[in-house]
Amino acid sequence: MQKKIVEFTNILRKAGVRVSVAETLDSFLALDEMTLDHRDQFKAALRCSMVKHSDDISTYDRLFDLFWSGFHDSLREQIKEALQGLGDIDIEALMEQLQSMLQNMDVDLSELAQALLTIDQNQLEQLIRQAGDETGIERIQNMLQIGFFSRRVLEQLGMTGASQELENLVEQLREQGMDEGELEKLQGLLKAVQDAMRKAVRQYTERELDKQNHDYIERFRQESLQEKSFYNLTEEDMRKMREVVDRLAQKLKNVVSIRRKRERKGKFDLKHTMRRNMSHDGVPFELMFKRRRKDRPKMVILCDISSSVANVSRFMLQFIYSLGEIFTKIRSYVFVAELGEVTEIFRDRDIYSAIDEALDGGGVINPYTRSNFGMAFHVFWRDHLATLDNRTTVVIIGDARNNYNDPRAWCLRDVHRKAKNVIWINPEAPGAWGFGDSVMDEYLPHTDVAEECRNLRQLSKLVDQLVL
Amino acid sequence: MFESVEAVQSALEGQKYVTTKNIATVVYLATKLQKPVLVEGPAGVGKTELAKVVAGALGIEMIRLQCYEGLDEAKALYEWEYSKQLLYTQMLRDKISQVLEGADTLKEAANRIAQEDDIFFSERFIVPRPLMRAITSDKTTLLLIDEVDKSDPEFEAFLLEVLSDYTVSVPEVGTIRARNIPIVFLTSNNAREMTDALKRRCLHLYIDFPDLETEVAILNQKVPGIEQRLVEDIVELVQRVRNLDLKKTPSISETLDWARALMTLNADSLEKDLIEQTMNVILKHQGDIEKAQTELSKLLSEKAAAQRAQEPVQSTPTSIKKSVLH
Repeated sequence: MQKKIVEFTNILRKAGVRVSVAETLDSFLALDEMTLDHRDQFKAALRCSMVKHSDDISTYDRLFDLFWSGFHDSLREQIKEALQGLGDIDIEALMEQLQSMLQNMDVDLSELAQALLTIDQNQLEQLIRQAGDETGIERIQNMLQIGFFSRRVLEQLGMTGASQELENLVEQLREQGMDEGELEKLQGLLKAVQDAMRKAVRQYTERELDKQNHDYIERFRQESLQEKSFYNLTEEDMRKMREVVDRLAQKLKNVVSIRRKRERKGKFDLKHTMRRNMSHDGVPFELMFKRRRKDRPKMVILCDISSSVANVSRFMLQFIYSLGEIFTKIRSYVFVAELGEVTEIFRDRDIYSAIDEALDGGGVINPYTRSNFGMAFHVFWRDHLATLDNRTTVVIIGDARNNYNDPRAWCLRDVHRKAKNVIWINPEAPGAWGFGDSVMDEYLPHTDVAEECRNLRQLSKLVDQLVL
Repeated sequence: MFESVEAVQSALEGQKYVTTKNIATVVYLATKLQKPVLVEGPAGVGKTELAKVVAGALGIEMIRLQCYEGLDEAKALYEWEYSKQLLYTQMLRDKISQVLEGADTLKEAANRIAQEDDIFFSERFIVPRPLMRAITSDKTTLLLIDEVDKSDPEFEAFLLEVLSDYTVSVPEVGTIRARNIPIVFLTSNNAREMTDALKRRCLHLYIDFPDLETEVAILNQKVPGIEQRLVEDIVELVQRVRNLDLKKTPSISETLDWARALMTLNADSLEKDLIEQTMNVILKHQGDIEKAQTELSKLLSEKAAAQRAQEPVQSTPTSIKKSVLH
């Protein structure tokens, strides 16, 4: 049993579920306390000691079914089918007759032949599993190997030998004067069981492949999704993206919380303590500590929503929305040529309608103009520069394609002077910066961080920088 | 302690808590293996309630530690009662000068004081907080560490130490070992992912929103005397509302509140107007209510269609039912 559990653990690990050695040991302890006749309880006991992330539960459930029962059922299914295929034979009567005849004969059958003859399903299952272990079936890697491994398992089982034995047995029975009709039935039965056995072995191999490769397709999909550019995402992809953004935002929140905690408790404040305890005759009953001012990071976000970056800005707005749930002091603006504030929309509306609204200009700007970064920055400089201070991080999202307008980089310079950080997220690769109508190179000196960000992997890298 | 998983299930049933096999198994193992249980799941599925009913079923005291941001050892474990210590020194001033009488040198005086300093750092001046109380209690207790995700990561690291050995070290007094290992439940709303180290030490239990049958059972258990048809209608609607993309998904406790509210209003089935008037019991955001209302009208029209289809066949049984009910 323990060996089986270790094997199961390995399969869980392969599927990306983190199971430590200590947890495997825990599961042994847990199973010691249980009676194993209830499948539900067995499953729950293994789960609670090995799987600790709620996201992994569905994977666990699928693998559990695959591992602990699948083959057991499919073997029985095969044999049942085979027996039904024989039409109406009274198998029990046949078996009884066989039994009585065998008692008088001196036959020595191999384990497998015996199991086949008596249709001992548990024994057959045991034998297949054993043979599988001996052939090293866990090394199976792809579809093409199914035939090969099935043959290996059958060889290991000694299938050919067993069927020869059974044929000899039939001959012996004939010599003993068994009724010809009965013999025919017996032959049919034996053939059917052997066929079922072969099929079961093949299924066993397929199942084994499934186990080993369980998450292959899923993982392939996720990997390619992470690399996929935001420009070409379907609705479904977007949904998956959102989940990841939520996770990133959560991570961000943790870091922020740690920082805040560190700041909280100050040093002992002697003056305050003495003042406070004057009424106790100067005996310091109440100790006072200096309170350090909390460093609440502020954030200002400018997001380009022009048509050239439409898909990216949708995603970015989503990210901004998640940030807004974490940072209390966040102001968000959208721009094309004009610049408009959408902070309130993001605060009050739910995510989808907020994003749609913002993409439509938020009722404050006209989104159907040509981008003009210079003008947008100028408006920001004129109207909102006063909101910046040395705790503010300014995030600009856009491709800096300025349609040959005046870039007015000096506006960004002033912003950079006043703010703590200026971070530029550009969906274009750095190679394209400064070419054509891109004025990225003029803005570049006035940013602290400028990163290309077109896909999730790049964004997640960037997130780490946001809190630094 | 519990004898078997079935015993757990029936004991909790006795406390009016409807469990699944899964929950019962984990509770059973927790008591057998003396391991803490980390209960996760959305808000309002009865995580805290589970700890309470387990304590109730075992007839042991429950000690609760509510976590919040900024919770530290002093609030969770123990604290020196500083003012009491100071008060004692003030009141014992004469005694102290007696002790010091005849001491010629400063060194001798310091030595004499040093001999006595145990008095001021003894258990007398310790204020035990929940963790300490659970560990030093004479009887087995149930320790509930509620909303552990709200605490800071540092506190979590500190919890690890306590939960792995069930010992507490107070530098001035020494190590205090648990007399009786408490049954520990930690609950988390997943506001923050707990560290793997903590998870590794715990059994993990995920309680999700119940399925239809379980929720019906819960409602019947908790709101006695409610009409079966109303229960089914309520649960069906709530389950559908949960599938919507809402700011706050209605929890079991809200379903119960709603059922009670409808009972108070003497409703025997769900009418459109009635639902609209009482919707705010289960939904707490205006946007959510609007979304739910469109879903609601869909559900009602579907139901009406279904009823029309069944009417000719079912006409007799319903009339009988009605006459019984009135």
